[in-house]
Amino acid sequence: MSVPADLITTAPVPDTAAPFGPFGTAGRVPGWARSLEIVIPGAILAALLFFCFIWPLVYPVPKPIGGSLLTPHLPLWSPGHILGTDIVGDDVMSRILYGGRVSFEVAAAVQVIGLVIGGSLGMAAAYRGGWVEAVLMRILDVFLAFPSLVLVLAIADGLGPSETHVIWALSFFSIPAFARVARAATLRLRDQPFVVASRLSGSRPLTIMFRHLVPNMWPQLLTFSLLGASLTIILEGALDFLGYGIPPPAASWGNMIASGQQLISVYPSFVVVPSVFLLVTAICLNVLGDGLRARWGTR
Amino acid sequence: MAAAAAEGAPASVQLGPSPLLEVSDLRVTFRTRAASIHAVQGISFSVEPGQTLAIIGESGSGKTVSAQAVMGILPRTATVSGSIRFKGDELVGRSEHELRDYRGRNVAMVFQNPERSLNPTMRIGTQIAEAILSHLKVDRKEAHERAVELLRMVRLQAPERRFYEYPHQLSGGMRQRVMIAIALACGPALLIADEATTALDVTTQAQIMDLLMDLQQQTGTALLMISHDLGLAASYAEEVIVMYAGKVVEQAPTKELFADVRMPYTQALLDAIPRIETEPHVLLPVIGGRPPDLAVIPSGCSFAPRCPAVQDDCREQAPPLRQHEPGRWWACWHPYRKGAPE
Amino acid sequence: MNTSVTVQPARWAGGARARRLARSPVLRLAGRRILTAIPVLWGVTLLTFITLSALPGDAASALLGINATPAELRAFRIKLHLNEPFWVRYGHWLGGALTGNLGTSFSGGQSVASTIGQRLPVTLELVIYAMVITMVVSVPLAVLCARRPRGIIDRLSMVLSMASISIAPYVLALLLVIVFAVDTSIFPAIGYQSIGAGLAGNLRDVTLPSIILALPLIGFYTRFLRGDLLEQMQSEDYIVTARAKGLSDWQILTRHALRNSFIGLMTVIGLNLATLIGVTVIVEQIFSLPGIGYELLQSISNRNVPVVEGIVLVFGAAVVLANLVTDLLYSVLDPRIRHVRSR
Repeated sequence: MSVPADLITTAPVPDTAAPFGPFGTAGRVPGWARSLEIVIPGAILAALLFFCFIWPLVYPVPKPIGGSLLTPHLPLWSPGHILGTDIVGDDVMSRILYGGRVSFEVAAAVQVIGLVIGGSLGMAAAYRGGWVEAVLMRILDVFLAFPSLVLVLAIADGLGPSETHVIWALSFFSIPAFARVARAATLRLRDQPFVVASRLSGSRPLTIMFRHLVPNMWPQLLTFSLLGASLTIILEGALDFLGYGIPPPAASWGNMIASGQQLISVYPSFVVVPSVFLLVTAICLNVLGDGLRARWGTR
Repeated sequence: MAAAAAEGAPASVQLGPSPLLEVSDLRVTFRTRAASIHAVQGISFSVEPGQTLAIIGESGSGKTVSAQAVMGILPRTATVSGSIRFKGDELVGRSEHELRDYRGRNVAMVFQNPERSLNPTMRIGTQIAEAILSHLKVDRKEAHERAVELLRMVRLQAPERRFYEYPHQLSGGMRQRVMIAIALACGPALLIADEATTALDVTTQAQIMDLLMDLQQQTGTALLMISHDLGLAASYAEEVIVMYAGKVVEQAPTKELFADVRMPYTQALLDAIPRIETEPHVLLPVIGGRPPDLAVIPSGCSFAPRCPAVQDDCREQAPPLRQHEPGRWWACWHPYRKGAPE
Repeated sequence: MNTSVTVQPARWAGGARARRLARSPVLRLAGRRILTAIPVLWGVTLLTFITLSALPGDAASALLGINATPAELRAFRIKLHLNEPFWVRYGHWLGGALTGNLGTSFSGGQSVASTIGQRLPVTLELVIYAMVITMVVSVPLAVLCARRPRGIIDRLSMVLSMASISIAPYVLALLLVIVFAVDTSIFPAIGYQSIGAGLAGNLRDVTLPSIILALPLIGFYTRFLRGDLLEQMQSEDYIVTARAKGLSDWQILTRHALRNSFIGLMTVIGLNLATLIGVTVIVEQIFSLPGIGYELLQSISNRNVPVVEGIVLVFGAAVVLANLVTDLLYSVLDPRIRHVRSR
């Protein structure tokens, strides 16, 4: 009877990250939990965070540094060393876990600093408008027109490699980036009727910013931080790799890759294992950020 | 045509050559995640060569979807059944490839928003020439000349110069003329105007409609007008179809329809048109309530909840569309008596 | 057609021409941009100078090594004016820069301009090659994806592009080096041959690093373009008009939608310039390509201030130029902007 005809053009199906999760769970599971693009990366990230931060506290994981030189180059799945040991006998798995700590700490710190400092600056400047904003935009342009990289490298080189220095160095990228996003969002929201109404009824600027602007901006800022976190982890790895970041023997994914370079044809796992963790973490953050962005409908 | 009340059979005003377009029991349903939307629930009509037919209805009545079905530009989520015959060829069930040949060449459409319907980064002449080149085997030079000729035909000044202009350099009325030029580029036998003048001011509206009428005379194209504006239908159409909630509820030649309204719905539509004679500060007689949810096919008449002349049997069973008088069709259990609206 | 230029009867030929030029919106835009760029560039150089001066260590200790005697260090410093106060040194450099003299490198004494001149073409070749690869791959891929959303090509591309954005360039470099250089020796792992010495050899050396530069770009631009194209196909009325004309999806995508997307694409490319520069530095380091990025890293370690400043200036100017070109392209690609003054 009803012939599904081809009397149609091939109009594209709307591209949304809308839920298409497990059947039969409608009504019992909240919307976001049904979206595979959010659940899967979220779960993987949660697992990674658990294993990096909490697991070593409960389970006696071998130390990442000071392994026995008598047991170098152990292959994967050796008893007591799931991922084998590296060139000096340190357990690879625990180096991965502790290195992961570094990566996550740095990523979180850089995003938070960027959000708090950059976000506030951008929001405040865009709200005030006038010459304050103009000056800020020029300064931002200066940072974005490149020296960030120079500064990062210079700082890392000059002050010596350490986790804190890496955090400060990378913040030079994230502060202007967040300021830009916050500024754009504020400009969009500033002239909305509800903000104008609030202003006209005498609310103080700070109140307006925190009661009206922030709640409307945070989804956008959150997805931006997730995507930024992914980039930060890669950049942090780059700094470690180039020798400007966390110095060995402390573990970090980047310097594990760097030190594995020489032996790449003989023991490729030294490079492959941290690379895989790096890749998976970055992908999860990207997919999660993208999925949330599609879901919340912000660009 | 036999005067016997035939349910759902194609209506035709004049006897003559076989109709240009024959739509029979067309049903269009949209599959969405939540439910199926029954946008068109079995309508039938036909258009003769050179005829002007108006389909009038509120938003959501299914009139635009019907037009899209005839053009073949419904989205993939739509399921179409029934029959649409153009010059005897069945269109339902054809492949996309075949329909592309037919679209633009035999049937063309003019849309509602002239500002948005033209590509802002392409010259208008090129957009017209594109229509020509996609169906007719001519070279670029000839396409160019034809496009200029079309611009002249739609009464745009300095057509040679206009060819090179961009849409934003033209006013709304001028853009709509360009759209008409694009539509007529390949000499289609049927032109569908989907709310083509709705977005224009009244003066421009009249100009465009006059243009369409003249062009019709010149080229012998049939015109299918889709609108919510009864006044427009009254002024320009030969026959009027009134749709409500996916179904045809009344059909008649224009003069007879307006002289002698039968359907309470049509009467209500007429009453809602503001008139010069109306006293100032008097409430407009709008139709109360809202159009029904198309996800649900009601058991009774779709208009029952809002009908001023509703009776009990209206809610129980939906009235069929019948030709109660020669050339006049309506679907109502209790239509107004001839000459005596309630 | 375009009435933005009013031709007045010239009082004298030269004047009319100059006046016409001065009214050209294109030149005015360029002029405005350059004017606002100057303080930015100045700020950039100042910031860099401050940073380098504030850091511990200086060129003397870096270049002469730990074994240098205090006397040697002092002599070196005096020769390079490193003992003078900050403002004097900056003023000296700035004065030179404004008159076109970028100074001489602390290590080796070669003029900064010629150092940059040697290194810049290498980096440029890398970047251009990468952009060409990117465009050749992303544009058709995006169109293919937009044609059948949720189809095989689309899903595969989205997954791969996500991966290519997420993978670290150095990791990718190492992996590709294993595959191509170590195992099969198709492309060399290290080394560079200039074009002058043979195009084939040059391309062989540059291909691998360019691919690494290009891969995340391809991922990013394909996603962007695909999204933009899809948005047009779904919600723009002129697409419906094109369908009603009987055009095929492919024709609609390439003739109508792509046109409008290019504008957005240009913006995105411009915005990504800084990141691109960053990745270039890393790639040059890994493959030991004698480009500007490599030079930058060296010079920072050496506190080779004039060279760093010179490079920073070049990059800043590049960014300004890129922004300018993007804006100009806007007005070329989007006729609405072009004609703003003529109505």
